[in-house]
Formats: sequence, C-alpha cells, structure tokens
Amino acid sequence: MIHLDNVSKVYPNGTEALKNVSLDIGQGEFVFVVGPSGAGKSTFLKLLIHEETATFGKIKVNGYNLVNIKQRKVPYLRRTMGIVFQDFRLIDKMNVYDNIAFAMRAIGAHERDIKKRVKFVIEMVGLNGKEKCRPNELSGGEQQRVSLARALVNNPELLIADEPTGNIDPKMSFDIMKKLVEINKRGTTIIVVTHEHELVKQFGGRVIIIEGGEIKLDKKLPTKYHPSDEPEDTVEDSEEAEV
Amino acid sequence: MKFTSSRYLVKEGLKNIWNNRMMSLASIVVLVSCLIITGAAILISANLNNLISTLGDDNQINIYLDYKMSDIDAIKLGSEIKKLPNVDECVFYSKDEGIKEFKDKIGNDIYQSMQGENNPLGHVYKVKLKDLSDYRSTIDEIGKLDGVVNVSDRAAIARALTKLNYFVAIAGFWIVLILGVVTLFIISNTIKMTMYSRRFEISIMKSVGATNTFVRIPFIIEAMTIGLIAGLLSAIVLICIYNPIKESAGSILAMIASSTIPLEDLWLRILVAFSCAGILIGALGGFISITKYLRKEGGEIIGW
Repeated sequence: MIHLDNVSKVYPNGTEALKNVSLDIGQGEFVFVVGPSGAGKSTFLKLLIHEETATFGKIKVNGYNLVNIKQRKVPYLRRTMGIVFQDFRLIDKMNVYDNIAFAMRAIGAHERDIKKRVKFVIEMVGLNGKEKCRPNELSGGEQQRVSLARALVNNPELLIADEPTGNIDPKMSFDIMKKLVEINKRGTTIIVVTHEHELVKQFGGRVIIIEGGEIKLDKKLPTKYHPSDEPEDTVEDSEEAEV
Repeated sequence: MKFTSSRYLVKEGLKNIWNNRMMSLASIVVLVSCLIITGAAILISANLNNLISTLGDDNQINIYLDYKMSDIDAIKLGSEIKKLPNVDECVFYSKDEGIKEFKDKIGNDIYQSMQGENNPLGHVYKVKLKDLSDYRSTIDEIGKLDGVVNVSDRAAIARALTKLNYFVAIAGFWIVLILGVVTLFIISNTIKMTMYSRRFEISIMKSVGATNTFVRIPFIIEAMTIGLIAGLLSAIVLICIYNPIKESAGSILAMIASSTIPLEDLWLRILVAFSCAGILIGALGGFISITKYLRKEGGEIIGW
C-alpha cells in the first residue's frame, strides 16, 4: 500500500526535512505518526499525496510509483485517498451536504451517485439531520466529522488525518478517533498524524515516531480502547480542569 | 467529460460572475470600451475600402475649360475630345448652367451681374471612358489639349483615400494589438481575482483528485461569458451609432453618404464578430491566468 525506501527530502532553502526514511504500511493498517513540530510529519504527508517530491529514494502509494508519476496522473492517485485536516477546511458558504458533495462533484461524479453516497457517509459519521447546516452552525467536533465525511465520500483506500483532533475538545477528539477506528475496521488504511500522546496510548496500534526527519520508533502498542469505551477525559472533566 | 459535470461546471462559472459582480462589471466596461475603439477602427477601414472601390468603378471625369474660351472654341474642343479612342460619352455642360447652380447661394443680384462675359466659370465636359485601365493615359492626353484648364482626377482622390486607408489599417492594427493585450490583461486579472477568492476551494478540489482541466473550466467559462457580454454590448453600441455617424459624415461630404456600407449588410457580421472576439479573448485570458496559478501555487494542499 505504502512503501518508502531510503526517502530524503531537502527543501530548496537547504532544510533536510526527512532523512533516509524507509517504511511499509500495509492494507487495512491503523498507524499513528507522532513527533514534535518541525519533525518532518507534514513533509511525510506531502510526499504521500505528491504535493512534494522526494529528493532521494523511492515512494510507492496505492500502486502509484511517485518517483516518476506523470503530473496528469496525480489527481487519480489522490482519488485513492482522503484527507482530514486539523482546521477542517470546510467551505463556509456551503451547507454540510454540499461540502461533502463538493468532493464528488470535483471528480465529475453523477448527481444520482452523489445523492446516494453523501447520504451514506452522513449517516456513517453520525450527522443525520445536519445536512442543511452551515459549518458555522456546527461544533468543532461536528465540523471535523463533516471533514471526515468529505474525505470518505469518494471511498478511498487510504485515509490521512493531519492532526484531526488538534482543534477540538477531548470528548470530541475521542469521538473522532472512535469513528476512525470504525472506518479502519471496514478495511480503509488510516494514517493519523498527531502529537496527542494520550490518544495514542489509549487507541494503541502501530506508532511511528518521527524526530529530526528520522524514524525514531516504529512499534505496535497494545490498545486500551474498547468500542463501548467513553473518553477518559470527559467534557465535564475538562471544564472542571479549566475552572 | 460527462454531461452532468458540464452542467455543474457551467453553473459554477456563471456563479463566479455573480459572486465577483463588481470586478466582472468593471472588466465588462473596460472590455466594451476597448472593443468599441477596435471595432470603430475596423469599420472606418472597411468603409474607406468601399469608398475607394466605388471611386475606382466610377469612370466619369469632368474637364474644365478656360473661362475665356468662346462657345464655338469649346464645341470644337469637344469634338477633339470625342475623337479620343478611349472616350465613350462626352456631354457638354455650359458655364451658364454652371453659374445657375450657384444662383441660390450667391443671390439674384450677384447672379445677374455674372452673366455673359462676366461669368467667372468655364465650360465643362462630362466624359465617360470605355476602358478604365487606360484612365491615366486618357487623362494625360485630355490635359494636353489647348483650353483645358483642369481635369477632375478621381484617381487622385482614390490615391489619397488609399493612403488614408493604409494609415487607418496600420493604426487599426496597432489599436487592435494594444487593446487586445490590454483586454487580455484585464480579463486575466479578473480571473486572477476570482481564483484568489476561490483558492481555498481549489486546494480542496485538488486534494480530492480534481484534474487541472476540471478546476480550469469554470474560470474559463466565467472569462468567456464576460467576453461574450462585452462583445455583445459593444456590437450593440456600434450598431446604434453607425447610422447617425454615417449621416453626419454624409452631410459633410456627399460622396461618403453614397459609398458607405449600409447597416443592413453589417449588423449581423458585427454582432457575430464581436461576440466571437469577446469569447476568444475571454477564453485566452482565463486560460492564461488559471494555468499560471495551477502551475505555481495551485498544488498546495497540506501546506495551504
């Protein structure tokens, strides 16, 4: 699914963002990529979606060889993946339905298929009844679920979540992570970039720690999470903590 | 591209115009001005061409005789002119008839004082030629005859008009070129503004796998629609002002009134040509700016 072989990335200003990174991520895996700011996590993601090209090494993602991929093939590579952003990146003037449908319209899907599929993913992320709401009428967690629905609507093989819980409270973060686990159980490979160690400890699975552009640790952690679990840090708890 | 996608893309393009209505309006106004100037240059040139060809087709020349020449001498000269091989028809037009034409303008008193020997005009022969290719040599031959003061040489007017037309064509070329570049610049700036306001959406589209063509089309449709509206408006303005300008020019010089191209022959051509020009400029301007954007910044997704 994802294969990186001795990949390095040096930016034109001389910054070496990744150094000889080699790893394999298989179909259906759930992977956390952890590391401090400037560790090279974003560069790693940019390489996967071919926003940047590697300076050295080989990258293969979802059957596409990214070393010599033609520019006109890049959109088709991206159709095999969905991306969830920390800042949700929803279009304010569109309602929930249109924000999600936008991802399908952008690849020329038929309106009949869009209707069916959008309805399905809205149910999947638990946003029934919110179809007509604008993003500013939703909570942070709900907005992130819209973003998640948009990432899923084209039925990707790989879901990349870049700090998906960075802008939401702990309970919502837990909900989003639960959704990601559910989606992973349906067979979608998931890569979550985060610096929230608590979530990583709770959900476990494969953890890759990147520091200074290098992989410091690539290990499978046991999961403490059970589908019926509630978050360890509830909304009430966090409010008390703030007080 | 699927029909549903085309419908969506066209809708998006038209929506862009409404969302950026002030900028679109400004572009349309500037484009209309540029197209009117360009169109006016082309129409002037076309009419001059028509006038020149009309003059070329008109084979009548006027031969003015010395005002002191007696009637008998004038008739003798007339028979000499008729003998020339290229002369088809030669009609005598006496100086009395000539001064009569000025009667209203100069008043009865002066008219009366200009009768007989006091008439300052000379007799005139109106001559039609058989072969226009010998026009020049026939004129020269007539000019050499005794008593001929002047020969109205329409070729001289045609030559002057040809020079004027050449000037208009050269000026028109530069006007079209310069205003073409200006209009392209304006339209591509409008599209750049739209793109800037929609760069967020573009980044999302690119992140979900939209092709560059798909991203481009709404912007090109927007630019083409702006161009089409500007083309139609400028065509309508030109069609509306064509006849009044033609009439006022005709009142100055009768020759113009009879030689201009009638609006009935032109309006459809103006409408089609201007609409096509507007669409073409729009498509080109839109294509240039969106392609430049997609090549430079349009690929940013994570780093947006």
